[in-house]
This record gives sequence, C-alpha cells and structure tokens, in this order.
Amino acid sequence: MMQTDKTVLLDMFRTMNKIRFFESEVQKFFAAGQIPGFVHLYLGEEAVATGVCAALGKSDMITSTHRGHGHCLAKGGDLNLMMAEIFGRLDGYCKGKGGSMHIADFNIGILGANGIVGGGGPLSVGAALSCQYKGNKDVAVCFFGDGASNQGTTQESLNLASAWKLPLVFVNENNGYAISLAQRKAMAVTDIADRAAAYDMPGVVVDGNDVLAVYEAAQQAVERAREGQGPSLIECKTYRWRGHFEGDACVYRSEEELAEWKAKDPIPRFARQLVDREVATQAELDAITNEVAEAVAAAVRFAEQSPYPSEEHLVEDVYA
Amino acid sequence: MKVGLIANPASGKDIRRIVAHGSVFDNQEKVRMVRRILTGLREAGVEEVLFMPDSYAIVERALLDLPADRRPPSIEPLVYWQHNTQEDTVRAAELLEEAGAAVMIVLGGDGTARAACRGSRNLPILALSTGTNNVFPVMTEATVAGLAAGILASGALPMDKGCYEADILEILVNGEVRDLALVDVAVAREAFVGSRAVWDMDRISALFLARCKADSIGLSAIGGQIVHCAPDSGTGLALDLQGPAQRTVRAAIAPGLFVSAGIASHSIMHKGETFAVEQSGVLALDGERDLVLHKKDTACVRLALRGVQVVDVPKTLEAARTRTLFARQIG
Amino acid sequence: MARKTYLQALNDAMRQEMERDPSVFILGEDVGKFGGCFGVTQGLFDQFGERRVRDTPISESAIVGAAAGAASAGLRPIAELMFVDFIGVAMDQLFNQAAKMRFMFGGKAKVPMVLRMPQGAGVNAAAQHSQSLEAWFMHIPGIKVCIPSTPADAKGLLVSAIRDDNPVVFLEHKLLYGIEGEVDDDLYEIPLGSGRVVREGSDVTIVATALMVHRALEAAEILAKDGISVEIVDPRTLVPLDKECILTSGRKTHALVVVQEAVKTAGAGAEIAAMVAEEAIEYLDAPIVRLGAPFCPVPFSPPLEQAYMPSVDKIVEAVRNQR
Repeated sequence: MMQTDKTVLLDMFRTMNKIRFFESEVQKFFAAGQIPGFVHLYLGEEAVATGVCAALGKSDMITSTHRGHGHCLAKGGDLNLMMAEIFGRLDGYCKGKGGSMHIADFNIGILGANGIVGGGGPLSVGAALSCQYKGNKDVAVCFFGDGASNQGTTQESLNLASAWKLPLVFVNENNGYAISLAQRKAMAVTDIADRAAAYDMPGVVVDGNDVLAVYEAAQQAVERAREGQGPSLIECKTYRWRGHFEGDACVYRSEEELAEWKAKDPIPRFARQLVDREVATQAELDAITNEVAEAVAAAVRFAEQSPYPSEEHLVEDVYA
Repeated sequence: MKVGLIANPASGKDIRRIVAHGSVFDNQEKVRMVRRILTGLREAGVEEVLFMPDSYAIVERALLDLPADRRPPSIEPLVYWQHNTQEDTVRAAELLEEAGAAVMIVLGGDGTARAACRGSRNLPILALSTGTNNVFPVMTEATVAGLAAGILASGALPMDKGCYEADILEILVNGEVRDLALVDVAVAREAFVGSRAVWDMDRISALFLARCKADSIGLSAIGGQIVHCAPDSGTGLALDLQGPAQRTVRAAIAPGLFVSAGIASHSIMHKGETFAVEQSGVLALDGERDLVLHKKDTACVRLALRGVQVVDVPKTLEAARTRTLFARQIG
Repeated sequence: MARKTYLQALNDAMRQEMERDPSVFILGEDVGKFGGCFGVTQGLFDQFGERRVRDTPISESAIVGAAAGAASAGLRPIAELMFVDFIGVAMDQLFNQAAKMRFMFGGKAKVPMVLRMPQGAGVNAAAQHSQSLEAWFMHIPGIKVCIPSTPADAKGLLVSAIRDDNPVVFLEHKLLYGIEGEVDDDLYEIPLGSGRVVREGSDVTIVATALMVHRALEAAEILAKDGISVEIVDPRTLVPLDKECILTSGRKTHALVVVQEAVKTAGAGAEIAAMVAEEAIEYLDAPIVRLGAPFCPVPFSPPLEQAYMPSVDKIVEAVRNQR
C-alpha cells in the first residue's frame, strides 16, 4: 500500500526539518527587523507539503498560497534563493521583487505562491489542463486553505477540474482558522472533503500531522490523476503554530489548543516511527538534522551577503 | 432508562474513496439520522439521552431542527476533553457505561463500532452504518433503530429478547490483551500505519475473522467465500495467505474493489483458542491499520470467550409485535 | 486580399494560428459548436474538435485563471468572455495573477494568453453588457491592450496577440463585427504598439479608437466641407501606446481632439491627452479637447443610448469649437 523505500522516508524527514529550520530562522530574522513586509509561517504544518510533494515528480506542478514556504521547499526549492528572496535581495528567486508571498520556480513546477486567498485554484486548473492537453502524464496539485475553500474561485476550479477530468489533486490544508475566523463560524460543514461529493470527486480526510498518511493518500490521488481518472480532494487536518502572520497576537484561539497541537508535532512523531521501525538510527536522523540546520544557516549567510536590487531593476520584467 | 449516542464525525471519509469507490458520507446526513433516532427513542418512551460531543456538533445540530415534543426530554453531552481522535469514541463509551446507560447507539463504520466496544464491552451496542466497509454496523432506517433501542432501554422489552452475543477477536501482545476487533484482523507487511485503510492483498499475510459470510464486503468477504461463520456461532476463521496457495478467492474487499487472494490454508477458530501472528508488521483491525508490532513482540489472536451484546433491530421489533407493544385492540 | 468582415478576420486569425501552432487553443462560454455568442469562433469546433475549442461553464474566474495557468505551463490559450462587462467577476485572475506573474517572479514566468472580450454600446444591451472598459486594463502593468477598428487590424493584431508572450486583452467592438474591409488571406502580424494614421490632414488631429474611428472619419468628411483638414490617428493598441505616432501628428496639426466611447472620466483619452500635454504642449495652438460618454452607466432606451455615445455631430462640434 505504501512504498517505504528508506531513501524516500529519510528525504521526507529531511524536508520536514528543512521547513522547520527555515521557518524558525525566518521567524527570528523577521522579529529582528531584518526581513521586511509580512511573513506567514508554515511551522506545524510541515507534514502536509512534505507528504504531498514526496508523491510528485520534478515536472509535476503545484500552485501555492500565502503560507507557501513549505510547499516551495518540499517541491525542491533552493534554500539560498528562497531565503535571499524573503530578505528582499537581488540574488533571490525573484530578484527581490516578489518576496515571501510570491516565490516561484518554473523549472521545478512551482507556479508560484499567491497573495490572494483562493487565487491559485484557477491557475492549477490551467496547469492541469496543460498536462492533459500535452498528454504527458504530469499532474498538478493545488494547495489551498480552509479560508480559500469559501472563495468562489475554489468552487469554480473544483467544478471545472471534475467536469474536464483534469489530472489535478486539490490539497486542502485545514488549519482551523482563516486569519482569525474559526472554521466553525465560517462554514456549515467541518469537513471540506464533504464538498468533493458535490463535484463528483473523491474527498478524503487525513491526519495532516502524519506525514505518512498524507504521503499515502497523495500517492493514490496522484496515481489516479495520472491514469486519467480525474481530480481528488484531500483534506489534511492540521494547525499552524504561529499566527496568520508574524505579529498576530492570536487572540482568537487558546493556549490550550495550541499546546494540544504542539503535542502532535509531526516531526518527532515521524522520527519516533523511523527509529521504532528500524528504518534509521537516531544518530542517522541527528546527522540529517544537523546537515539541514547548517544548510539553512548558510542560506541566511547567502541572503545577508546578497545586495538589494538597485533602481535600474525597478521596471524590468514587467513584460516578456 | 438512559440511552447513549455516539456519532462519529470522521467516519466515511478515509482513503478508500480514492483507492476504491467508497461513498462520501457527509455529516449532514448523520445529523438527519440522529434526528430520526431521537424520534424513535421518544416514541419508545426514553427520557434521557447522553451523547458524545464532537467537532461537528452532530447532535446539537440535530436538535436545532427537531421540536421538543418529538425527542426525549433530556439530551445532554458527556463532559470530557475532546481530542478529535478515535479516543473520543472510546472515552465516550466508557463514560456511558459509568453513567448507567442501558444501550449505546453508534453511528459510524466498523472502526467506530470497534472504538466504542473498546470503551465498553458491557454495554449492548446498536451500530448504524455511516462508514465505508460495514460488516458490524447495520444498514437500517434510523427511526426504527431508535425505536428498537428505546424499547430495550426503557424495559418495555427485556434486553435479552432483543440482543444477541456477537463474537469478537482479541489481540494479545506479549501475553496481554492489547486490543480487539469486531470483524477482522489482518496481518499486513507494512512498517507504518499511514492512511490506515487496507486495499492491497499482496501485503496481507494472514487474516482472522470473527464472522464471515458470502454477501459480506471487506476483508471478511474473503473468508465468506469459503465458510459461513454466523456472528453468534462461537466460531471464527483463520486464513493463512502466506504459504503456497491451495486456492484463490475473489472477493470485494472495499466498495467497488474486487481482488484475488491466494489461500494457503484455513482453520476454524474456537473461543479461547489462540493463533500466533507469524511476523512483525502492522495489524489492521476491522479494516484499519492500527497496531504496530515490533520484532521482539509476540502476538496472537483469539476469539474472545465473551463477545459483545448487539441489539438486533428486526428481532427486537418482532418481539415487540408479538407482545403488541404498538398495536392496541379498540373496544 | 479579399473583402472580409471584422468577425471573419478574427475567425481567420484564430483558425490560421491554430493550424500553425498546436499549442494554441480556445476556451470560453459557448465557443464550441455554438460558435460563440457573437459567432466569432464559428466553425472552429468542427475543424479542431473539443480538445482545442473548449466550452466552459459560466465560471469567468476559472476561464481566465485556467488560461493564465495553462499559459504559464507552456500553452497559448485564447480565452473569450462573452462581454467585457463580465471581467468583474474574474478580475483577480487577470490583474493580480496573469498580469503580475512575470514581475513578481523576477522575470521567469511567461504568460502568453489572449483574453478576447466584446465591448461597447449601441446594441441596446443596457448597463451590464455595453461598457467600454479599456482604461481598467491600461492601468495594470503587465497587460497589453488591443482595440482594433478595422477587419485588417483585427486580424493582424490578433495574430500578434496570440504570438505575444504576455497576457493580451483584446477588445472587440460589437458594432464593428459586421463591417467589411480588405483583409490579406495570409497570416500577417501588426506589431503591438504601432498606431496608424487613418486619414491624413493638416488642421487638427483626432485620436480615436474602435467605433469612434469610424465616427471620426464621418466627421472629417463634414469638416472638410468647412475647409478643416482632419488627420485621424488610431493607436490600435493602448498598451503599448504608439506615442510617436500621436505626437508626430499633433506636432504637425497643432491641435488635438481625443475621442473615446468610454466614460470620459479617467479614460484612455485622458491618458493620451496628458501624454501629449507633457511632451508636446508647445506645439499646440488650442487646448486639448476630450470627447467621451457622460459619467453615467450605459442606458437601455435607444434614444438615450444614442445620446450617451459620442456621435459624429458631437465630434464635428468639438472640432469647430476648438478653433
């Protein structure tokens, strides 16, 4: 039911840690005033992007959200280029013109994070349409949040993807809150997966803090999409440890709730499974963690050493 | 006089909707079913209902649209810290037993019913199907299910006239009972629980069935093509799928999903007789990968000496008819 | 060369481009067997099939966004909205997504899509089916805007738009679909950003677009009888704007009248007038005059609608009053 090749499993462990360290550093440097603008951190949700992207190949495509750092890293985004972009530097992914909410790497299928809630849905439909049109067996994944699921664009996209049987997997990251609004106050259903039935596609709920559950569901949905059987909706129940953005006082949720979710931290949980099942020793895992921590530290150095873009770059790249 | 109500908001939503053709059982339908159950309970004269609170507020939502004169007068939530996991169901069943409920009505699939029985092996259970592969829960109209549970709970009909004892499986790890299964235990060559469901027979090395019959769905359908073990027969079936196959069986192990299984041997399980689990891996209980076995663990499965009491809706209502509980002679 | 309608010219451009390039396809509401609400895609479904001429549900956001997504993934979609007025429900996908991808992503994205939309009043379609919204699109960096007035321009500009690597908004005037003109049978491009002197003259320059080009031509005939020689410039694309074409004419005639069908306030004409004022005011002998619709929605009742649109008489009057 699950291909549990050691390399794949350890890659997932590496990716989750990469996201964790990356976001922790972003949090630190944002607090220190060295990162401008807004940042929306993925801390606590690492298992979702990791499990989904582990089921994808390089030429498969993703569309992302505000909270996109994790998706980009899991899809193979470069640490240095990402960090430099978030620092607003010339050597960043987008020459410092996009920032945290607009990171893309078309060479590895990252069609862009998105500053508009629900903005990625129609784009993912187009990406999946391009796969179907070219007949190349690639698939697209649309990451979207519980907030985005109430946008018309998302519903239009679910419908069109199903009507056209597109190779598209909708991955809902349900972290319970659309900025400050609890999901229970925003919608009459608790399971966004229930909405799949309205579009005649499979809708499943998985534990978004269990990377293997996410990975297995994604593998099956991706395979289904590749075989031409159309889209699926996977709802991953998870939680963001930080506020919607850095600086959010989180007055809308309780410390107890946060503590409960922190106890479900997907990373130690996965580490325990790996050691327990004798896939890896603790020493091997520690080596991975150290290697990732060093790579993230190097990315910060890379970002800090990169210059800011100069005014001559201002009006470049408006048109092709 | 109290009736317990457990409605699982998470049932009917697992990966079998992708790997097979399972229904998406939305929670709105569970709300409607709870309304119908409550009218049945009211009709039977039940005065008090205790329910499991859940993230979807299934019972609270049901009450919003159900007039007071069509439901039992007292309907209260059990009070405990919700974790939104299977453990909520286990805990709810424990609390229902402690609170003196006479019967528990459980909405969910095999997995939900199993969790409820883990919480209480003493309370009679009426499990209604809102899950995926349902062998243990019944597909019956919620209104009459409520009525049946109600007349047993209220004492209008003695409990033993409406129940039967269903055989269940116990899983022993290192000599201690660790878990139970209501229908089937599958030994999977998996390292991880993952998305829980089981759909790939190539990865199953043994099956233990508390019951099986030819028209089943799920893993027990495999045994059902070989022998018929009624739920209260006091026998179960053990299948070895690992050795050289002596025969192959085709059966529907998930909705819309037929597979072939090669059977090396089968043997009838009698109550109390233990069957060793030959390899480490993951045990799938009632269709859900759940219990991880380590290399050093020794595990075995047995048909429990004592099963669980199950409310039989047709039998109950038939007994009610013969006692003319709902038909009165005029004049 | 053959006489073709504006509609046939557009249809030819799409057909020939689709024959030439397999990555070009069409999506939109009723564009398939039905042939499009105004008939612009007639016959293309029969020739290319449903894979390349795709009927969509009435989901404008999904149409525009799917075009942007497919374009960024290497295809060349031509999306059609039935009326430009419907862009409101899909605006985010155009102005926040398609338009900004290239810049936001540091020059890595290419979004070669065309968004065709009929616009304009004159068919008694009332307030939500008659607007001229070109100024909206001009205001967003990252989008190109075509607004052809003749069959020949319609074809050449559409070919260029399809081949362009940017999102191009292609505005077709509903009243022009039936006009005829000489159109080359072969494929040809008209570079985006090249204006055209439609009529040469020496006393005043009228810059006009779409239907207004034709009204300006009629006005010029009347004014010629008064001895006023009118030069007419059709910029053909508003982004990029052929400033030199307009400035050259203005420097020659020393007078500028800008005519647009859209509401005058904050319109394309305001941009053109301001540009000329900034760059060539010293050449002008009279204040710049702008003509456009009054600041109200498009009315339904035919006489009111006629009063709403800049007419030949109003153009004549504006030129006379300027002198």
